[in-house]
Amino acid sequence: MDILFFKIALATYFLSTVGYVISLLVKRVLVARVSMWVLFSAFFVQSLSFGARCIATGQSPILGIHDALSLIAWIMTGAYLAFQLKTKTRILGSFVSPAAFLLMIIASIGIGEHVSIPPALQGSLVPLHVILAVTGEAFFALASCAGAMYLVQDSLIKNKKGRSFSRLLPSLRDLDRINHICLLGGFPLLTLGILVGSIWARTAWGSHWQWDPKQIWTLAAWCLYALLLHQRLAIGWRGHKAAWFSLLAFFFLLLCVVVNQFSTTLHRFV
Amino acid sequence: MNIILIGMNHKTAPLEIRERLSLSCWTDLNPLSELMKFPQVKEAMYLSTCNRVEVLADTTVAETALANLKSFIFHHGNLSPEEMERCLYVHFDKDAVQHLFRVTASLDSLVMGEPQILGQVKDAYHRAVENNATGMILNKVLHHAFRVAKRVRTETAIANNAVSVSFAAVELAKKIFGSLEGKAVLLIGAGEMSELAARHLINHGVGRFLIANRTYSRALEMADAFQGTAVEFSDLANKLGEADIVIASTGATGYVITREMVAKSLQGRRNRLLFLIDIAVPRDIDPEAGEIDNVFLYNIDDLQEVVDDNIRSRRQEAERAEAIIEEEVIKCRVWMNSLTVVPTIVSIREKVEGIIKGELEKSASWMKNLRDEEKNNVETLANSIVNKIIHDPITSLKEESQDNGVTPYLVAVRRLFKLDQN
Repeated sequence: MDILFFKIALATYFLSTVGYVISLLVKRVLVARVSMWVLFSAFFVQSLSFGARCIATGQSPILGIHDALSLIAWIMTGAYLAFQLKTKTRILGSFVSPAAFLLMIIASIGIGEHVSIPPALQGSLVPLHVILAVTGEAFFALASCAGAMYLVQDSLIKNKKGRSFSRLLPSLRDLDRINHICLLGGFPLLTLGILVGSIWARTAWGSHWQWDPKQIWTLAAWCLYALLLHQRLAIGWRGHKAAWFSLLAFFFLLLCVVVNQFSTTLHRFV
Repeated sequence: MNIILIGMNHKTAPLEIRERLSLSCWTDLNPLSELMKFPQVKEAMYLSTCNRVEVLADTTVAETALANLKSFIFHHGNLSPEEMERCLYVHFDKDAVQHLFRVTASLDSLVMGEPQILGQVKDAYHRAVENNATGMILNKVLHHAFRVAKRVRTETAIANNAVSVSFAAVELAKKIFGSLEGKAVLLIGAGEMSELAARHLINHGVGRFLIANRTYSRALEMADAFQGTAVEFSDLANKLGEADIVIASTGATGYVITREMVAKSLQGRRNRLLFLIDIAVPRDIDPEAGEIDNVFLYNIDDLQEVVDDNIRSRRQEAERAEAIIEEEVIKCRVWMNSLTVVPTIVSIREKVEGIIKGELEKSASWMKNLRDEEKNNVETLANSIVNKIIHDPITSLKEESQDNGVTPYLVAVRRLFKLDQN
């Protein structure tokens, strides 16, 4: 049942992505408005998929890396849908929806496979660690979508080019605020996720820190986010520079995923 | 039904001629009652705006009515015959409807897409209604025109983008700040354009005005007008930190705001976005200031380019609007054509009903022996036979009316049924 829902959600994400791309091409917000509802239904069906999984297995629906990616897509979409209720950022969906769709595609590769969990990762803290970290990452993903669109809009206004396009994109302030709020939300979640993980590492392997490649890269990204948050709150960074920096930090987070696939790591369990 | 539209607009007639015509009407006479005095005019509407004077009328005989309408314009506008020929345009039926639709949808306006014209046409129509000058035709055509205007407005972007420099500045500010509520504006120097921009900003909820001028007393005056605070010119560098939007329009020959001033002010304002609008010639703000992060600088040429761009995109939208109007004119024409067959259909029905009634009366003598129920049956039978017979000719006539070739059928039917005798 959950797989059927997952497939429907995947198809709906595809539809909303097509809708958003069309809205960019024809430069009409109306199309984006319709796509928003398609995206919402994708989100809804995906929620059903998670729910069905929970009921069927009686445990956390997030087991393997594929589930984690699908959870990122789900949280990112949900957070975006909530944001665009308050701000006029319908077109931001044209960055969020393809990102979510891409995550779902990667997630779908492992769909239905039985995930065998090594004994070291069988503990109540592990799902908590995964959910916290992944939720934090989803917020950062949304922050970088807003940051990327900020940079596009910023350069359009600054260089006085692409006016019809600039008119379509949300205002700089709205994009900067989404970037900021996602940072504020994502950082504590990722921090808690890392802490819970290290507590579990202590019980499983006897040490908080294993010099695992994923740990190293995640810590690097975490440091960048900490720096960005500090600059934003204490120095008053905003706009252009903050948007660039959030993209850079997210690049490090992405590296973690790549590193995870191509090195021997404790975090690999699919 | 013969719809005539006669008039002149900003393209065909110079202001002085339009002025003469619009001045004489409504001040010392009621144009509608004048128009309705003509025996051929059944319905009339008189539309007068700064860019056009037009009469829309439904008439019985187009040729004589047109002559009368022309004489109306001729007398009230004090025009010479040559001026009349040069300035006046006349449209009939479908073309008149198309012209009306284009006017109402603001495609014929001086500033294409401007929103006032719809209200003006509505006012003209209400005046005509008040003066009992409208009937079925104008009511229908005008309501259709209002619907078309609404459709054009919602389905095309013809009225979306600013076509004046000051409004373009407001639109840009909104793209930067989202909402302008609570934002602070620093006006440097006075000028018509900067005041206009300031008024637009007030309409969009700007919170606070700071006003700087070389002569402090002038700054105080303007501060009064905008309910803002006057600022010493020498204090400009400090006040820059407080503003979100700066409009500069002084007559100074050098830069009033330098790159250093802007860069310094950003630290004090914790990198809040700053929108600099330089509408002075020669420029007041160092163009290099626009290169700083989170600072957006537009000069008068940049804004003018935005406006030119918007005008171009309005023209593109106008093409889509024309297609909508084309479509709606066809719909209206279908209705107009069906009107031409209506009187004939009514006559046919009246004629056959008369025949049935006459025949039943003739048969009254033998029918009196029948029971009521049987009498009713006979009447129903007669009615249904006749209705069946005329049903097909009437349907065909209605169908044919949707094409243009309705006239030969009409003539034939009227002759076959001898509708034009007696």
